Amino acid sequence: MSAELLKELAKVEKVMAYDAAPSARPSSSKKAPSQSIGSSLDSLLDSLREFKQGIEAGATSAEVVGLIARTVDEKKKEIDDRQKEVYNALGKLGKALDKKFPNALPEWQPVFTSPTSAAALDRTVALHLVRTGQFSTAATFVEESGVKLPDDFKTKFLSMHAILDALRRQDLAPALEWAAANRPFLEARGSRLEFCLHRSQYMRILFSSNPPNPVLGINYCKNFCQHLISAHEHEFQRLLTCTIFLPEERMRTSPYADLTDPSIHTELEGMLTQEFCAKLGMSKQLPLRVVGDIGAGGALSRIEKGRKVMRERKSEWSLSDELPIDIPLPPENRYHSIFACPVSKEQSTPSNPPMMMSCGHVVSKESLTKLTKPGGRVKCPYCPQESKESAALQVHF
Amino acid sequence: MSVNRLNMEGILLFEHPFARVPYENLRKAFRTSQKHIERELGAVAGKREDFDGAYDALDTLKTLEGMIARVESLKAKLNTLHTTTTAPTEYVLKQRLEHLAKLDGCSMRTDPAFEAWAATRLDRWLVDWALRTGRFDTARQIATEKGIESLCDVELFTDVRRIEEALARHSCAEALAWCTENKVALRKAKSSLEFELRLQEYIELCRAGRPFDAIAYARKHLRAWQDTHGDQIQRACALLCFSASTICKPYKRLYDASRWQTLIASFRSAVYELHGLPPLPLLSYAVHSGLSSLKVPACGGHESANVDCPVCDKTALGGLAHEVPSSHQVNSTIVCRISGKVMDGDNGPMAFPASGMVYSREALEEMAARNNGEVTCPRTGERVQFSELRKVFIS
Repeated sequence: MSAELLKELAKVEKVMAYDAAPSARPSSSKKAPSQSIGSSLDSLLDSLREFKQGIEAGATSAEVVGLIARTVDEKKKEIDDRQKEVYNALGKLGKALDKKFPNALPEWQPVFTSPTSAAALDRTVALHLVRTGQFSTAATFVEESGVKLPDDFKTKFLSMHAILDALRRQDLAPALEWAAANRPFLEARGSRLEFCLHRSQYMRILFSSNPPNPVLGINYCKNFCQHLISAHEHEFQRLLTCTIFLPEERMRTSPYADLTDPSIHTELEGMLTQEFCAKLGMSKQLPLRVVGDIGAGGALSRIEKGRKVMRERKSEWSLSDELPIDIPLPPENRYHSIFACPVSKEQSTPSNPPMMMSCGHVVSKESLTKLTKPGGRVKCPYCPQESKESAALQVHF
Repeated sequence: MSVNRLNMEGILLFEHPFARVPYENLRKAFRTSQKHIERELGAVAGKREDFDGAYDALDTLKTLEGMIARVESLKAKLNTLHTTTTAPTEYVLKQRLEHLAKLDGCSMRTDPAFEAWAATRLDRWLVDWALRTGRFDTARQIATEKGIESLCDVELFTDVRRIEEALARHSCAEALAWCTENKVALRKAKSSLEFELRLQEYIELCRAGRPFDAIAYARKHLRAWQDTHGDQIQRACALLCFSASTICKPYKRLYDASRWQTLIASFRSAVYELHGLPPLPLLSYAVHSGLSSLKVPACGGHESANVDCPVCDKTALGGLAHEVPSSHQVNSTIVCRISGKVMDGDNGPMAFPASGMVYSREALEEMAARNNGEVTCPRTGERVQFSELRKVFIS
């Protein structure tokens, strides 16, 4: 797809080149190779200067005049032809672009321009810059936009990025220190961060010893990992057993090949960022990336298509209410439970909450009331079981 | 899974302007070269006429010298055009197409190559947004630090700002020069920007109490628009009878200073249209539709807020959510409050028997394994054996 565009561009570059040797056309082409404009002009200049010298030398002849005129015409045609080639090549590139990008973005009225929205967007961008470690850009932006950030915010992320920088230099000490300091928090979350940090360190120690020396690794485990062994017993067994397959090359073809995978070191950055942000009460992913990737990952084109269909059906749909269509989302971007009653298809609300019958099936409270027969018994629409309305339990997701 | 497959149509919708801008610049460079060639070479060819009549060596020499000078000047002009405009534009276009080509190898959302591409895309959006909102230093700094100068239109917007600042200073000259540069394209787009600018200059002459100059100006510059803007020209001429302090509505409006703001807006939309740029920052399109896809009634609720949800953060992106429509949900999606995972057949929902609090089986099993088979509800503190939990069926 894009390769085709690049090919068309290469053609444009070739014909637009100002100074270039005549392009060698494929031999099948009948036309003579076209000259670059620069060389056409040079050859025109040469001829004109020659004529001039000739006349100055006294070689006067009325024929010269005709010859000059013919040369000028010839070269002018050559240049015009070349320009035509450029025109055609540009046209082709334009068509290829149209084909690749058939739709333009919709002509919307301005959005997010109210003072509160504009301020919220500024703040979002400032937070994004700091979170991604672009501190000096963030400072510039704060200066230009006048947005205010919490004082300690920058300090916290400076320390996070210092830890990440160290990780990138294969220095795990600051990361381990942070993990140790936040051990209760990490344990409560069931986080694997501390274990993974030690595992990375351990494997590095094993692989850097030459000749292979398992004792170095064993000592490391003894000295630093005691507190982790009970929670990761099986994994520590593997870490210690893998030493019999040293050196690294041999381990790659062993049952312990997964421990040679570079991802056990590279995944640490992402894990640490996630835990660090969670500790600060912030989202694990970059909010601007999440929202942007969804918006430009099909949502807008679907929404626009939906709007078009609505317009064609002449049923107006206002932008400020609800989307006309369902946008598929990756599971990790589902942040809230939605309960749509299977009977009424309506979404649950505080006054119409989901109710679980004795059989475990859930319908909305209103549907449950409608299904109830006199005497307070209700027959589940999804299984043969009958139960009492009063036995239904309101569930909370 | 299909939700992880990249939706190329949706992605490319946002890239429409990306390759368009340098392509249009390249076409403009070509038109400029064409203009030079027509003018200079046309003049050279025209000089042939001088040869007519009796042959005279001196005359011929003089004509020849004139021709040589013309060709040399054309050569210099074309050479400069190529090195300062054509070649750099081709480079930019190539960089952008190569950037887009990186997408060709990706098919999944989770592809590391796509992740990297999407990170750069956000950087590009931020630059575009900063440029459009007048934060030029921020824009430049992001572009330089991320090495994406050729993927952003910093120069274009710098030029736009220069002209806008001139308009804000009540000077039309720069904008008019831009109109001349883009005459053909503006005419094709049926833009009346030039007329509006000319009218403004005329109004300024009236304001300054120079009726004769104003009439002369109208003759020279407004007359050409008679067919399309006849009414406005008539009103403009009547303006001569009113001073700037008039209270007569239509004329007061012409004298109003807010006309300059309107001019800035018209200029901007003309630039956007000419370069195939969308009227809003790309970031706004993406954020608007992204927020909308995520927004559900539970967002930001006291009890239902989720720190990972962008819409729930009222101090940042959530502060924009009131402007966007809610998502449209037809099916139930149950998200576990402990693990954050979406529950399905393999990891079904289970309810605490008294409080009716629902969590995923996996999360509860894990909790039970750590606590001798006992589970505790994190919201209510209800404590039961795992075996006492009730299976929930959501159809």
